[in-house]
Amino acid sequence: MSMEVTRVIVIAVAVAVGVLVYRRIAGAPPSRGAAAAAREAEALGLLPASRQNTMVSGPDPELERALAAAAARGDWEPAARLLAATRERRDWQRRTRYADLLGDAAAEGDGAWLDAWEAARPDDPDAAVVRASSTISLAWLLRGGAWAKDTSAEQFAGFHRVLARSRDEIARAAELVPDDPTPYVFEIRPALGFGYPHDEMHRIWKEITNRDPYHFGAHTGALQYWYAKWRGSKELAERFTEEAAAAAPLGTLLKALPLIAWWEHHDDDAKAADFRSPRLVALVDAALADVAAAPPDHPNVPGVRHLLAYYLTRQGRFEAALEQFRLVDGYVGAFPWSCYSDPGAVYCRWRDTAVRGARRGR
Amino acid sequence: MGASVRALRALLLLAGFYLLGLAMLAVLAGVDWAAALWAPSSLAVKLYVVSALLAVPIVRGMFMLRTPKDDAAHGVLVTDAQEPRLWQEVRELAAQVGTRAPDEIRLTADMNASVSEEARFLGLLGGTRRLHLGLPLVSGLTEAQLRAVLAHEMGHYGNADTRLSAITVRGRVQVARTIAHFEERAGGKVAKERARQERKNEKKLAKGKKAKEVDTTGVGLTYRSMAKVYKAYGHFYLRATLAGSRRQELAADLAAARIAGRDATASALREIPALDSAHDFYMNAYATLGVGAGLLPPPGEVFGGIRHLLAARAGELAELRRELPTEPASPYDSHPPIAERVARLEALPDDGRASEPAGPALGLLADPGAALVAVEQASLTPEALRLRRVDWPELVHVSMTAHFAQEAEPLRRATAEVTDGDGSLDALLNALDLGVGWEIADRLPKSDQAGAAKGRAAREFARPVLRRGLSRMVAGELIDRGAARWELSWSESASLRMPPGHEDDLPAALDAAVADHPDTAPLRRLLATV
Repeated sequence: MSMEVTRVIVIAVAVAVGVLVYRRIAGAPPSRGAAAAAREAEALGLLPASRQNTMVSGPDPELERALAAAAARGDWEPAARLLAATRERRDWQRRTRYADLLGDAAAEGDGAWLDAWEAARPDDPDAAVVRASSTISLAWLLRGGAWAKDTSAEQFAGFHRVLARSRDEIARAAELVPDDPTPYVFEIRPALGFGYPHDEMHRIWKEITNRDPYHFGAHTGALQYWYAKWRGSKELAERFTEEAAAAAPLGTLLKALPLIAWWEHHDDDAKAADFRSPRLVALVDAALADVAAAPPDHPNVPGVRHLLAYYLTRQGRFEAALEQFRLVDGYVGAFPWSCYSDPGAVYCRWRDTAVRGARRGR
Repeated sequence: MGASVRALRALLLLAGFYLLGLAMLAVLAGVDWAAALWAPSSLAVKLYVVSALLAVPIVRGMFMLRTPKDDAAHGVLVTDAQEPRLWQEVRELAAQVGTRAPDEIRLTADMNASVSEEARFLGLLGGTRRLHLGLPLVSGLTEAQLRAVLAHEMGHYGNADTRLSAITVRGRVQVARTIAHFEERAGGKVAKERARQERKNEKKLAKGKKAKEVDTTGVGLTYRSMAKVYKAYGHFYLRATLAGSRRQELAADLAAARIAGRDATASALREIPALDSAHDFYMNAYATLGVGAGLLPPPGEVFGGIRHLLAARAGELAELRRELPTEPASPYDSHPPIAERVARLEALPDDGRASEPAGPALGLLADPGAALVAVEQASLTPEALRLRRVDWPELVHVSMTAHFAQEAEPLRRATAEVTDGDGSLDALLNALDLGVGWEIADRLPKSDQAGAAKGRAAREFARPVLRRGLSRMVAGELIDRGAARWELSWSESASLRMPPGHEDDLPAALDAAVADHPDTAPLRRLLATV
């Protein structure tokens, strides 16, 4: 009898060990809760990870059409029209954003559409700014996103060689549209790559703020420079975001900057309670008020909504989080998701957490 | 602890080193004896086999404890009649140190000077004393500095006050040598096994089969583990004797300073690490530059050529002399870090001997040129001695030309494949004009990152590789036409001398040829004008 019992126990233990090992190797299957949450999200009309657009942060049909035309048919004219309109309306924030994304697209493919654009209109100021952006983007593709110690000499050589080319292109773009801060916003990238001294960064910053004091993209770009991993320190980065947030009028979205710096410095080892600290709740509330006051067509509103959606979820404010998620669902090309190798999956994980939390709260 | 107690302890420690093997054999024998008495016979037989296997490397190891003979004497033996000044100098130094002068002086090709002794009776008694004097070292020192080096070396054997403590020194040398020998033996086994497997693979490949990965794990294991046991004991030995040894080194430094002068001794110590790295660099970048092309510098220059380098790079050497190593060279090195030794010497009161004449130490030799030739004959392998001897400028030109041709080879081959031709420079330029340059570049060796890149990024990875290959082919073409020539420099890298103007225009012309819209016209113009 005892022999029998022993046998049963041994078999049970063997099976349990087998299952554990299997799950270790194969990865745990999605828990029933997660699968249910994903179904619930779908029922709410939210999209699965596979259908999230990783290129942009929110709906922008014109931009998407321009990107698609360039990629599919090498047709540069929609892109040209888009950028010309931003120049004529002096809508600099949108111009920076579009030039940035079009530059990425030109760097990732063979860039033939940009060559064709330049050939057709040699002195086009809009082609010039996309060219500068694409060269910078290409330089970063060569470098890769790893830490310096994991980046080869060949990668660094290519990075520096191509990034050096961008300097003249930036200067040319700035000459062609003297009022546009965009080329100076792009100049922050060589400042990172070549490690410009602080004085030089202050000069660039002056050029930008003289043209547009509350440019959101310029602030997030400059924040990179002030991080310890590039040319600043934790203190310099925090001071930069606090001063910018304090000085900016409501509706410029700059109240969200401290949240970006907090993520950089604390997210990796933050505990649940850290997210719910009174200070962080106040920062999130200030950013919420900022978004509410921003003009609805501000090009960076969707990006800030993504950021808020993440923080609200982490703070257990699921209803409010879900509200933000619903406004940007379908697009995940935004911070903080874009910092991960699979932005769609990370986005859906937190979104589904919000969905589940909101249901329980009701 | 008095000197004699220290020496006695050293003696016991050294004896322990030899007893280690006997003790291990005794343990094995004891186990077998116990097994024979108490264990069932099947188990006992297994134990006999295992202990026999273990005993083999122990027994062989005990024979290895004898100083390997081959490193005892090498180089060119010089007699009193051949080098009277050198011998006189050495005898005087020995007398001042208070020790017996060496029985032999041998000139070698090393950047080193050492006094060795053919030890007898397990290294406890002295034997034939030899001074090995490396001519490259002699080339780099003044007479006074060399005197300091020799005085220090001889001081190790002759510190008359601590007569018995010589055992410590001798013991340490013995321990380090034995361990090195064990490791070499294990390494040799691995190398042998590797060669055997590679030969096998070659045969397999020749028969059209897939080669196996060469695997040498486990080979030489018994030797490695024996080495480990001795190494552990060696560490123990060193820890027990190191403080004393370091004191002795410093005492030898002081003796050298007394004999050769404070400043000459300190400057010799500063000089040695600088000369060491200069020597390594010289052997790599100059002396053996032409070996791939089947060339050696003229007789006497293979080891003697370092004179030109030392003369031309005075600034770099001064830099090296300032940055002294602050770490000991190896864990077995009984010498305190050079920085510490120099600091102690330089803290001594001025003995007023800084102004003594400091002629080059090579002047001690009757005929330095002939000595360098003789050392070459004695230390180069027969294969090396068969290489063609050419003067330095020719050596540099021919070797660098061959080196560039070799670097251009992948591009030449890729061009030939894509254009289905001879892979000449002309074919490459035509291919670039036709826009197939990137197709050729795609066939050149790539890093992982470059291989993974697509579109414009792939092209940016390929561009410098293509440009480099193209520049090598252009250089080869200019050299072929007699328009360019490699020029030797002792103070910097060799440089390719081109017709006036070419040097300035070539970079831009190469850039244009590998641009997104390739333009080979500037390059063709440059080539047309020679």
